[in-house]
Order: sequence, then C-alpha cells, then structure tokens
Amino acid sequence: MSREPQTRVVKLFFREAIARALREEMARDERIVILGQDVGSFGGSYKEFLGLYKQFGAARVRDTPVAEASMVGVGAGAAAAGLRPIVSITYMDFLMLGLDPLVNYAAKARYKTGGQLRVPLIVKTTAGAKGQGVAHSQCLEAWLMSVPGLKVVAPSTPADAYGLMKSALRESGPVVYVDHKRLFPMAGEMPEDEQITPFGLAKYLRRGADVTIATYSHMTQVALAAAEALAAEGVSCEIIDLRSLAPLDLATVCDSAGRTGALLTLEEGQIVCGVGAEIAFRVREKLGGAVRIDRVGALAAPVSSNPVLEAACVPDSARVARAIRGLLAA
Amino acid sequence: MDRVLLLRSMMLIRAFEAALLRNPGHGFQLLSSGEEAVAVGLCAALTADDQLLTSGRSIGPALARGLDPGRVLAELLGKSAGPCQGKGGRGHIAEPSAGFFGAHAVVGGNLTIAAGVALALQSLGSKAIVACLFGDGACGGGALHETLNIAALWKLPLVLVCDNNRYSVSTPRAAALAPEYLSDIAKPFGVPGQTVDGMDVMAVLEAARGFVELARSGGGPSFLECVSFRFSSHSTATRDTRTPAELDAARSHCPIELMAGRLAAEGLLAPDVRAELEHDVAEAVSAAASFAEASPFPDPSEALSDVA
Repeated sequence: MSREPQTRVVKLFFREAIARALREEMARDERIVILGQDVGSFGGSYKEFLGLYKQFGAARVRDTPVAEASMVGVGAGAAAAGLRPIVSITYMDFLMLGLDPLVNYAAKARYKTGGQLRVPLIVKTTAGAKGQGVAHSQCLEAWLMSVPGLKVVAPSTPADAYGLMKSALRESGPVVYVDHKRLFPMAGEMPEDEQITPFGLAKYLRRGADVTIATYSHMTQVALAAAEALAAEGVSCEIIDLRSLAPLDLATVCDSAGRTGALLTLEEGQIVCGVGAEIAFRVREKLGGAVRIDRVGALAAPVSSNPVLEAACVPDSARVARAIRGLLAA
Repeated sequence: MDRVLLLRSMMLIRAFEAALLRNPGHGFQLLSSGEEAVAVGLCAALTADDQLLTSGRSIGPALARGLDPGRVLAELLGKSAGPCQGKGGRGHIAEPSAGFFGAHAVVGGNLTIAAGVALALQSLGSKAIVACLFGDGACGGGALHETLNIAALWKLPLVLVCDNNRYSVSTPRAAALAPEYLSDIAKPFGVPGQTVDGMDVMAVLEAARGFVELARSGGGPSFLECVSFRFSSHSTATRDTRTPAELDAARSHCPIELMAGRLAAEGLLAPDVRAELEHDVAEAVSAAASFAEASPFPDPSEALSDVA
C-alpha cells in the first residue's frame, strides 16, 4: 500500500487492530455477527473483541458454549442463509472439532449447489507455541491450504491484521484467519484512514540479494532476527511475508527467488506436506532447478509446554541462520 | 389440507423411486420407500418460506417439498438440468429458493447447519422456520446434542425431525442408541419432544404442525421422532441384512396403503380415483424421466466452476 506523506498514522496493538477492523465492518454491515467462547463482555481471550459487545450488543456478539463443532456449523449455516458470521476458535488445535462443517459444508456448499449458495464465513483462530502444551500450540494452516473452496490468511503485523480482516469480511466464501499468540503484544503503525490488505498478495519485509526467506505469521519475527545475524556475516537476506496462504502469491516468491537463487521456506508447523513443501514444488515448477531450496519448520514431534522442549521443537533464528548457511554452501 | 394430495405425494415418491431403479445409470441411491409419510407429513406442515434441510436420504423429502420431479431426477443422475447443475447429485440436492435448503450426506452433518440457518432467519427478522430431517443414525453423535443445547438457549425456530427407520446401514437402532424413545433426547434441554407413528402421514402432519407453530411463534425448537420402516436396503449399493420375513413384515406397514384405506373407508377414495392417481403419478414420473434423459451431463470444465 502506498502511503501519502500527509496521511495520519495510528499505532495499535495487534488485538486492537483486529477489533478496529471488526468495529468498522460491523458498523458498515449489520449482517456481521461474532460467535465464540468468551467473545462477549469478556472481550476475547486476547482482548481482540474488546468493546464490540458494548457497542453492538449480545445478539451480534454472542458467547457460545464450548462446542467448536457446532459453532462452526452454526456459522456456516448462518452464512449460507444471509449472515456474515465470524466464529472465534480460541486455539487452532480445537478447530479440528469443527473441520466437518468447515471442510464438508462451508468449503463445498457453493460448488455442490451449483452456485445457489455462498458461505461467507470467517473462522478466526489463534495458532502457535507459547507455553501451553501439546494441544494448544499447533499451526495447522497447511492442512487447510489443500481444501478447495477455502481461503487461508495469517497476518504478521497489526496493519495486516486489520487489513486482512477487512478483506475477509468482504469475501463471498469461507476464510480461515489465523493469528498467533506471540503477535498479540506487538504494536504497529497503520494509516488512520481505512486500509484493506488484499488476499493473495505477499509483502517484502526486508530486501536482500543472497537468499529469499518465504514465511508468514510469527515466523517473520524469527526470519528478521536471523537476517540480522546473517548480515553481520555478510549474508544479505530477502524476507517475504506471504500473508495469504490460499491464495498464494507465487509470483512474488518466484521474483525474489529467481533473483537470489536460493529459497528457504520457514513455518512454525510441520514440514511434511507443509506450506514450504508446497511452495518449493511450485517454485521448482516455475523456475526449474536453478534455485536452491530448503525448508525449516518444527521438529517432527509434539510441542511441549516444557520451555526447554518447546524451544527445541519450534524454529528459532539460530536454526534459520544455520539452514541458510548450509543452503548457500551447497 | 386435501388428504388425497398427501396420498398422491406419497405415491409419487414411490413411483419415482421405482422408475429411478429402472434407469441403468442410477448408480448409488438412498431410497425413501417406506418412509414417504415422514417427508410428506412434515412438508405439509411447512409454508413456502420455510426451509427444509435433510440427510442424504433426500429423494422423498425433495419431492414432498414440491421440487420438480424432472429436475430432481436430473440431479440424481448428474445431469445439468438439476437444481445444482448435477454437481450436488445424490445426497446433496438443494433448491433454497424453493424452501429446500438442501440435503447433506454426512450423517448428522446438517443439524448444526440447520441451526445456523435458523439463527440467520431469526436475526434477519423472518417469520420463516427451519425443519431438519435426519435419521436415527444421527442420534448417537455429538452434533444433535450440541444443536439441541444451542437451539434451546437461543430459542431458535428449528423443528428437528428424526426419521427413525430403525437401522444405521446394518446396525439395529437398539444396538446403537440407549434411549427408549429418541424424542427423550430433547428432554434435558427443556425442548419438547414427541414420538409418532412415522407410517401414518396424518400423525406426522399433526405433530409437525404443532411444532412448526411453536417455532414460528417464538417458542423455540422441538424434536419430533417418526418411527418408520425402510423398505429397501441402506442404499442401492448395500446388501440388506434383514431376512425376507423381516422385510415382508416391514413392507406390510405401507404408509400409502394405510392412507388409501382410511380415505376409502371414509368414502373419499373411490377405486377409479385411486386408479386416476396411479395414472397421474406414472405420467409425472414418465415426464420426469424424459426430461432428465434429455438433459446433458455437465461439461468437464464445470469441475472448476463455482469452487471459490
């Protein structure tokens, strides 16, 4: 997004950016409703819904029972029948309970009815490791990327948390919006004026000449730290924040990887059938064998709440730097 | 309510399915024969604006809801003239503009969707209500219990109708479900429930009417169990595990004959009128078959349209 010099800028926390997008869109479109655990007067587990209950009332900001399967289903049905529901799933691990209505109904309703129905459902969920153990830490975006009919986005900055949520609320089909526990304390600038982040458009976080790192969500922070460390060694990293996983901005990744000649994919989830595997294959299809490619993700193990084991499992900047050194030496 | 029309509706479903089976391209189908009274009785209680969602066993309900038999047959055969352009096919027929929000062939998979449709209608200030038809097989899963809870809490305009045909594929209901009456499942949620003879279209209609009225007047959800007999195996591709004697016994409870006998006894169905009805539905089925046969299959490029 280009920014006029005189544009006023506001600084918001990640959670405030989400709430801002919801507040603006709910005021614009009365069909938008929020369903989820603790979304009402409590304001959301990460305060990302703070103030909305007071402004829009209990009918539009609905606390639900602990019943992810039915809440995704209710959201899908309500979306098909004319509302724009946002279903909040507190932890992405629990989205597994709601995969049937999400995958079997929401993602397929438009197709299976020959276009008679649309399901503008947003499932907003929080991924990532932050000391909460094996069933509260997973990043499962790659599972969802392969479902025809689903869109998957994962912002890494408050500006994109705001801009992608605005886009999601104007989509005609189902979207899974994935934020990350470690991003909530982050503050960031964005224009005071409305700004929308389109789906399917990646963003350069850092320009560089020697290697491309394609990543998203909290791993952008890890990539930036690794790039700093490598810069001291004379290695210049280019970092791409994918922002949207489905659709995927392959053109930007290919532009960069074609220039640098080396690509590292970085994700917090599993690398088997992961985001990186998909990107690597598509880049190879487009650019042939000229680009050296490697991938970094979690170890093939559950993510423990034990701080030593959690840190060992999830990628950190040292592991990323090591992988890049290996890639460039190959 | 013209009771002869209820009889005709049941006869149409029976004749339609018989003709479908004669089509060599019918493939895998989930038949409603034996369970016509449940679909017809329920649909007679709905108004045009109401929405019906069903399980995959949806031929009877789609026809009872008034969908055009030719278009239904086209959809079942995967032809472009179906309401879903042949893309939904068996188990997923839908025509929301006609009050048939759709079938969904995941057992229990339409229950939470129906609650969502009911929430949308309630939120948008509509007077329409939602009925969701599912089998006894859906009663053991969590979706029903979660749906009852949220529908009761939010007083959703939702009528849950269980077509209890006594079997989940081969598993008898008694081997899978603990409650004596499935309608009892609604009780702990404060949701009114009732079990009726699902072979008696008037019993289904009367009970459904009460529950539809309750939902429409803001009284919230209800649970109607209709005990029926499935005349065929689970699907046309599934072997029947019942003995010939069991099947004969099941088929002796025919909802069509029950209604026809009652009307005849009341002097409302002279033999020539019955014959006329038979002729009438045979013509409708024949026209449907011609229509569906004449419709092309979708172009292979349709595989990529309306995906996202």
